[in-house]
Amino acid sequence: MKLGKEEIQKIVLGGLLMLGVIYSYFDLLLGPLTKRAEQTQQSINALGPEIANAKAQIATARQMEQDAPKATLPMRQVESMIPEGAPVAWFPTRMTEFFKKQGIDKVSTRMTGETVEKDMPGFRKIIWGVDLPKVEFVTFGQAVAALENDEPLLEISAMQIDSSRDDVEMQHAFLTVNNLVKQ
Amino acid sequence: MALRLNLYHEVLKAKALKRRDPLKISIYGISGLLACFAFYYFFQLVRMHSISEQYAKVKGEFAQVEPQAKAAKKKEEELNQLAASSSQMVKRIEGRFYWAPLLAELSQVVPREVQITRMGGEITGENLRRCAIQVDGLAAGSDPRRVAEDLRTAIAEKLSPKYKNVTSTFKTLEDGSETVMLDGKPANTATFAITVQLFIGEEKKPAAARSKK
Repeated sequence: MKLGKEEIQKIVLGGLLMLGVIYSYFDLLLGPLTKRAEQTQQSINALGPEIANAKAQIATARQMEQDAPKATLPMRQVESMIPEGAPVAWFPTRMTEFFKKQGIDKVSTRMTGETVEKDMPGFRKIIWGVDLPKVEFVTFGQAVAALENDEPLLEISAMQIDSSRDDVEMQHAFLTVNNLVKQ
Repeated sequence: MALRLNLYHEVLKAKALKRRDPLKISIYGISGLLACFAFYYFFQLVRMHSISEQYAKVKGEFAQVEPQAKAAKKKEEELNQLAASSSQMVKRIEGRFYWAPLLAELSQVVPREVQITRMGGEITGENLRRCAIQVDGLAAGSDPRRVAEDLRTAIAEKLSPKYKNVTSTFKTLEDGSETVMLDGKPANTATFAITVQLFIGEEKKPAAARSKK
């Protein structure tokens, strides 16, 4: 079959029209839609691990919250041991009463220094000088043992015991004591 | 054979030409193609709608979970800090130096020929804790220096099993000018000062050095 000039023109026109339709379809309709779908899918995929991480974080925190009372028990116990108020108001009295119970009547306690505890936020260390002018060695030793057992926040950092020339049975003791208190 | 004349051949030819008109065929083809495209596009739209719904659901879930996760992280940090402080407090309490057992040990090794006139001690250090003690006294007997020496060695022997690196050295040891009555007999004296040094706890290990490549 021989095509005429007019027919060839129509075929070319039809071909161009088809190319135009195909181009428009892919470039203006299907292309953006597919691109948007891919982007949305990527966003979904990206959010998946983030949600999983967030859920894991919540679960870890819940577990820690459940375990917290056990882990923080020592701290709560310690905090309950520290009276409210300025330490200078209660610590010397506490020492006097303690040594009195141990049979040592003369005690004087003075604050000699204060340092911030780097490892223990919320606490500070107060240094006290506890003077026991007249004490018998065995009684003193027992009192020191009781003090170290009863007061876990207290540490004797230095001590000095001098014998007395006037009374050989009695000694003069001086304790340097560190005590943790709330800030 | 009969002769047939087709007087409509031009009309038939025009009809035939009209039937196979390329433009018309192209339009049919394009229409079919467009129908396919439209169907596929519709399918893609449905898929996109489904993805969008899924995204909205996931986003909503994330928006709900994210603040909770942030709060949980903050809470976790607080709890970690509290637990670390608690552990540090326990370590601190358990790592204290106890003087009472030391006084008991020292009192056991002092013989009746010795009078302690002064005793002082001090604790230094954070993890490995050093205790320095000075014991001043008066030793009496036929050989008071020997008595003082026995006390020095006895202190080291008594404390070594319980403390680390115990050393006991004389700071001074001098003959005394006065005599004392011991068991009803006059005895020579010697004054001494013994320095005792001991350690408790563990030295803090330095951070591990980076491995060389």
